[in-house]
Order: sequence, then structure tokens, then C-alpha cells
Amino acid sequence: MNLMAQILINVIIAFLAGSLLLGFHRKVMARVQLRPGPPIIQYLLHSLKFFFKETTFPKTASIPFYISITVILAGIWVTGVIVGPVAKGSLMILFGIYAIHKIVEHNAGSSSGSPYGKVSCVRAVFSAAGELPLFAVIAVIFILTGTMDISGIIAYQSIHGPLIFQLPLAALMFFTLIVTKSPYSPFAITKGKEIISGFETEHFGMLRGYIMFSESIAWYILLWIFLTIFFGPISVVGYVIGMIVICIITGFINATTPMLNPNHSVMAQISIAVICTVGSIIMIII
Amino acid sequence: MLIENLGGNVMGTIPLGDIVLYLNPLHIFLFVTILVFTALIAISRTETQVESMFGSLDENKVSVGKKEFKQRRFLSVICGIATAGAMITGDLFNFTLFMALIGIVNIGIVSAVKQVDVLNSAYQYGLIAMMCGLPLFGGAAMILAATGTLSLFELASIPASPMMIFGALVMLIGVCGESGIAPFFASKAEMFRTPGSPFILIIHLSSLFIIVRFVEILLTIL
Repeated sequence: MNLMAQILINVIIAFLAGSLLLGFHRKVMARVQLRPGPPIIQYLLHSLKFFFKETTFPKTASIPFYISITVILAGIWVTGVIVGPVAKGSLMILFGIYAIHKIVEHNAGSSSGSPYGKVSCVRAVFSAAGELPLFAVIAVIFILTGTMDISGIIAYQSIHGPLIFQLPLAALMFFTLIVTKSPYSPFAITKGKEIISGFETEHFGMLRGYIMFSESIAWYILLWIFLTIFFGPISVVGYVIGMIVICIITGFINATTPMLNPNHSVMAQISIAVICTVGSIIMIII
Repeated sequence: MLIENLGGNVMGTIPLGDIVLYLNPLHIFLFVTILVFTALIAISRTETQVESMFGSLDENKVSVGKKEFKQRRFLSVICGIATAGAMITGDLFNFTLFMALIGIVNIGIVSAVKQVDVLNSAYQYGLIAMMCGLPLFGGAAMILAATGTLSLFELASIPASPMMIFGALVMLIGVCGESGIAPFFASKAEMFRTPGSPFILIIHLSSLFIIVRFVEILLTIL
């Protein structure tokens, strides 16, 4: 298939699947909390709606960063689709994309001039200190498989079996990262309700549309990477079932767990990262 | 080759004697991204922080003065260029130099601010950055002593010896301190409370990109 067509199809799939999975995640949370919850399609409708709403710009905003940061967010996650499902390229580039995602959280918060965004911006610095060590999982995988290429890792698993059985602690690390990025997560300190919507508070209209579009793709890509690098070559049905199961588990965790304060959140993530990294390396050596 | 297993296939090399610059998709992605951010910083204006005041209906507005704006913008652009250099360098010593330059300009970016808490934080970060300069350069020196080269292209093909591993781990401590990540982040986070969104962005961006690149370098050496 033509490369451009392949990219376009994968971006559309990532957006639609990511939106529906986020809607499903919200539904699971609502049912666990004995509420009916919004329809599963609600997140997708919200995302599309914002593209047709009036866009406003605060007088205090840092222009052009206030606008361009949302476009950058969309751009990096489209790149994530290209590096991930399309090219099955290096995990290091996806690590870089995740680092830029943290920068977007930081700058979208600070560029508006809102005090809520500013608190979210400072928390983004804290959370980056906790979340990036969790990405040490890719180093652990590299030590075992000898490659960062997703296609190489898939090939390794087709010979040696799924990595989840060889590196369960590394899988736990990555799963913690997924929980962190899930909506209403106990680790989502940048979007705490006491700071309204955190870094997203002052972004309306099309800019919010870009953010929601990117978050859908980001959620899909994170789940896709987890299933690909820990469960080996699986079919489309396997991906669908795996993504739904992860949404149910994270939805249950988020519905029953209060949000941690920033220091506890960072220390919990760093502790999990250190214990799982050291444990995984010991398991590889043994 | 190991390098190809990390950031993708090598797309080209620029041999400059012992120092061989090499480009792969990861380097290009990081390099282009940092240049885009640096260009945006160069043309961006700063935000005005607005907070309501207690006991009245007034607002407290904090913005960046013109002179301060020019100084901080200049240092931010230098920081962006230094980070871009660290993304594509093929030499370990150049990487440590870029890292040290980033640490210095990071302090400079916030040192023009007239907020005591922010200056205190910058001072603490400066102390840690200075102390971590020793393991940063010391680690690189150990690797040079153990292998006779600082070219990453050469290091990738040399089997890791205990001294190389020790040197790399010492360098890791240096990079963690210089970039202000965990467990040193507490000294740096308060620096971000100051206005001047585009300038504090580059402090955070340079730290994160340095970490991404150093992970690649670490795995290349080991």
C-alpha cells in the first residue's frame, strides 16, 4: 500500500479507536461508581465538536506558543503513529515523543497566564521526574532483546515467546505508565480537579480539539506499544481485546483510587521504576 | 552494528578525524524538534501572570520587563542551540561540554528574575549543577582512559569493560544532576514559577532531551 495512504489510515484508526476507548474507559469508571455515565461515543463527539466551536485567546497569553503548542502536540502523536504502527521503528523515538508530550503539558499550562495553568506547569516538571524513569522499561527490553526496533522485538518474541513472561516487572512498569496517562488517574497531578482542568483550562475551540485529538491518539499508541512489545505478534482481534481489557482495569483503578498529592505521586512512580528496573535486570542475569 | 539497533538505521556520517558525526532517525527527530522550539522562542512574546488579590477585587499582574526579556531570550536561544548540538554530536566530550553549557544558561535564564524564591531555587540548582560537573567530565575521562577514544561510533564497537561501565554510571550521576531530574528535581521545579513561559520551556525541554540522548549514549557504550 502507498505509504501516505497507510499513514492516513492508521492516523484515522488511532483517532477513532483512541476516542472510543477513552469513552469506554469513562463508562467503566461510571459503572464502578454506580452512575450511568455518558455514552461511549461521547469523547469522540466532544473532540469533533470542538473543531467547530469559536476559538478564543486570552489577552495575557504568550503568542504564538499558546496556539502552536497544541499543533505540536497533534504533530508529535501523528509522528508516533508513523514510528509505531506504520514503520514499527525505534522505541527511542517514542521515548522522545513522550518527552515532548511532557513539554506540551508544561507549556500549554504556562503560556496562558492562568494561575491554574501555572500550577499545572510546575506539576508537569514534577511528573516528568516520575514518569520518565518508568520509560527505563525500554532499556530493560534492549538489554534482553538487543534491539530497540519494534519490528526486531516482535521477531524476538515470535522465537522466544511473549516478553511479559520473561520481563513481568518491566511490563508492570509500562502498565504504571499507562495508568498515569489514563484519564482521572491517581497520578494525573497535572489535571487535578482543584486546578480546574490543569494545563487545558484556558484552551478552547479548535485548540482544545487538537488536544483531544492528540490525547485519543496518544492513548491508542500507548496501548498498542504495550501489547506489541509484551505480547508479541498478535492479530487485530488480539489488539481489540487487549485494549478493552486494559481500559477496564485502568477504569476500575481510577474509579476507586483518589488522586495522590504531587510528592506522593512522584515518589510512588520512582519507587516502582527503581524496583522494577533492578528486579528485571536481576531476572535477566539469572 | 549496535548504533543501528538503538535509534534506527544510520542515514549518514560526517567524519571529522576521530570525531564522526552520524545521523539516524532519532537524532534527526530530536534535532529538528529542538530547532522548531528554538525558532518559536525567538519570535514569541511572554505571558502575563494574573492572580486575584485577597481582600479586594483587584488583580495582581506579573510580567517580564523589556530588558529582562531580551537577556532571557538570548540565553534561551543559546540553550536551544546547545541542546541541538548535544542531539547530533558523535563525540562524548562534546556531549559533556554541551551539557555543561546547558546547565550554565539554565541558571542564567532565571537569574535575571527579581523573585527571591525563584533565585533561591536557581542558586540551589546551580550548586548541584556545579557539583555534578565533576562526575560528568570525570566519567567521560574514565571512558577515554579505558578505551583511548571518545568517538561514539568507535565506542559502539568496543566491548564494554568494567572501567567503561563504571565511567558510564559516573557520567549518569553527572547528567542527572546537571539536568535536574529525579532525585535532584526538587531544587529545579521552583524555578518554573516565574513568568516567561517560552524561556522556562527551554529549561525543561533541554533537560528532557538530554536525558533521551544520554539513554542512547549509555546503551551505545554498554
